[in-house]
Amino acid sequence: MHNLLIFIRKEILPIQRDPRSLSIMILMPLAEILLIGFVMRFEIEHTNIAVYDMAKQHSSVQLIQRLEGGKRFSAKTVDSMEEAERLLKSNKVKAILRISPDFESKILNDNEPTLQLILDAIDPNTATTIEAYMNAVLNDYFRDQGMSYSPQLLKIDQLMYYNPMLKSVYGTVPGLISVILMLICALMTSVSLTREKEMGTLNVLLISPLKPIQIIIGKVIPYLLVSLVNIAVILVLAFTVFKMPLAGSLLLLILVSLLYCLCALALGFLISTKSQSQQVAMMVSLAGLMLPTTLLSGMIYPIKNMPMWLQGITYLMPARWFINILKHIMLKASPVSAFLPDIGILLLMTLVITAISLHNFKVRFK
Amino acid sequence: MSETIITVKDLTRKFGDFTAVDAISFDVKKGEIFGFLGANGAGKTTAMRILCGLLSPTSGQAEVCGFDVYHQSEQIKLNIGYMSQKFSLFDDLTVWENISFYAGIYKMSKQEIKIAGESLLEQLELTKYRNRLIKSLPLGWKQKLSFSIAIIHKPKVVFLDEPTGGVDPITRRAFWDMIYKASSEGITIFVTTHYLDEAEYCDRISMMVKGRIAGLGTPAELKTRFKAKNMYDVFLKLARGTDNA
Repeated sequence: MHNLLIFIRKEILPIQRDPRSLSIMILMPLAEILLIGFVMRFEIEHTNIAVYDMAKQHSSVQLIQRLEGGKRFSAKTVDSMEEAERLLKSNKVKAILRISPDFESKILNDNEPTLQLILDAIDPNTATTIEAYMNAVLNDYFRDQGMSYSPQLLKIDQLMYYNPMLKSVYGTVPGLISVILMLICALMTSVSLTREKEMGTLNVLLISPLKPIQIIIGKVIPYLLVSLVNIAVILVLAFTVFKMPLAGSLLLLILVSLLYCLCALALGFLISTKSQSQQVAMMVSLAGLMLPTTLLSGMIYPIKNMPMWLQGITYLMPARWFINILKHIMLKASPVSAFLPDIGILLLMTLVITAISLHNFKVRFK
Repeated sequence: MSETIITVKDLTRKFGDFTAVDAISFDVKKGEIFGFLGANGAGKTTAMRILCGLLSPTSGQAEVCGFDVYHQSEQIKLNIGYMSQKFSLFDDLTVWENISFYAGIYKMSKQEIKIAGESLLEQLELTKYRNRLIKSLPLGWKQKLSFSIAIIHKPKVVFLDEPTGGVDPITRRAFWDMIYKASSEGITIFVTTHYLDEAEYCDRISMMVKGRIAGLGTPAELKTRFKAKNMYDVFLKLARGTDNA
């Protein structure tokens, strides 16, 4: 225990002394989450659409005003279909809404009016999002008109649970948290341990009365403390800037995040047992962890859409389970039993990774 | 008859099919400066790692400070010191922090660390640099500091793995003075080196060729036996001898 404390002190001293690297460790996730958080938004704002109002009557003008009322759309009225299509082709608008000449009379007679929505589907995600918003706006409009039915365009009555506004940050922020923590934790440990290897100090430590497990724990604890600060920074940003809700318990959220960090630190340790230089460790941590975590954790692309073999790989991504837990705690306030299996899997992964790394670590010498 | 501090008998270490250390036997006496020579890949480092308790042997016996390398590596570790070519100091810690870290993990008390550390700084004339970061020190200073730290806990044996690599002849000579001083205080020195002139400074030498000890004795004995003018000739004759065999 005494030796462990001496070792931890030795690890903390340089971190403490070099405020620059400490601030990088803390500012990097801050910058990353802000940058990616603002860039990775799938909802649309002020999307230009062309409106070809063939009716030009009271109710159609009202509909257009309604469309422009939210901040989702900027309507550009056109006088012919050709003009509308030209705008669509030149990418000035993303969609065309065509209102039939008999719009008003049909509404007054409680008949189904005809509306046509043409979408630029080059970017299918945006197209689907526009469609969904359009549906929502039209639905509202017709309800206010006191109409008893849904027009053609809106066949499905949608109810969005947990994320009624379809805010994409609800999906991306948990993913971001997991990518950033994974990156920072794994990078920090793998680089720090390979550095000892490169400098030759690891040999001296191993020849000293320090036990390998003390060296490992001594390495992990200071970085776990840094991770705790990172968790705090990221969560504060998530709640303030991105307005993430917190439906469940904050304590639980922090504990689970710490477990995830531990798992990432263990991965960093594993990487360091296999790499001979700091550069290799850094490359492997960046390329080998960041990309799979981003792509295969379900953060951006739905796991269900992946081919089966790839789906199999996603089971090995700690982030997959962590994101799941985060969503449970932040958005659903589910009982712990709902995500206990995910916690178990994370715990198991951490233990297995640690065991393999310890084995590798010893095999080098025995 | 002085006491024996390292006993090695038929020590063998294999990595798969490759025999890195092939049934070597030798003794090292207390206070002796024992030179462990050999070409790259001759098995020096492997043998040294076994003696330091880092690697277990495949077969044979070895005792260091009376402790068995198979089962008592923990006790061995407490009784030895180690310094490598890379000097093994922490660049981003100060001189004093390095001293107190190493002294601390060898279980010295705060009081002991203070006394031993201050006298170490005084001897090396580094007192006014105690709060300097290691990375700002010249190579020669690091080397001396590294050696002094390796013996701060008064080990019975100190293992030096090519300790003079990369330093100039004057610094090397000064370093050997420190080795002599430590030896005169009863610390056994086990040193590997590539510099054959340094071999002459040792009390006894073992010359490894392809995992075996090809020659063992005082520098004078070896020179007579192999009819060589200097250690360089001895080394060449031994290394080539087995090639022809």
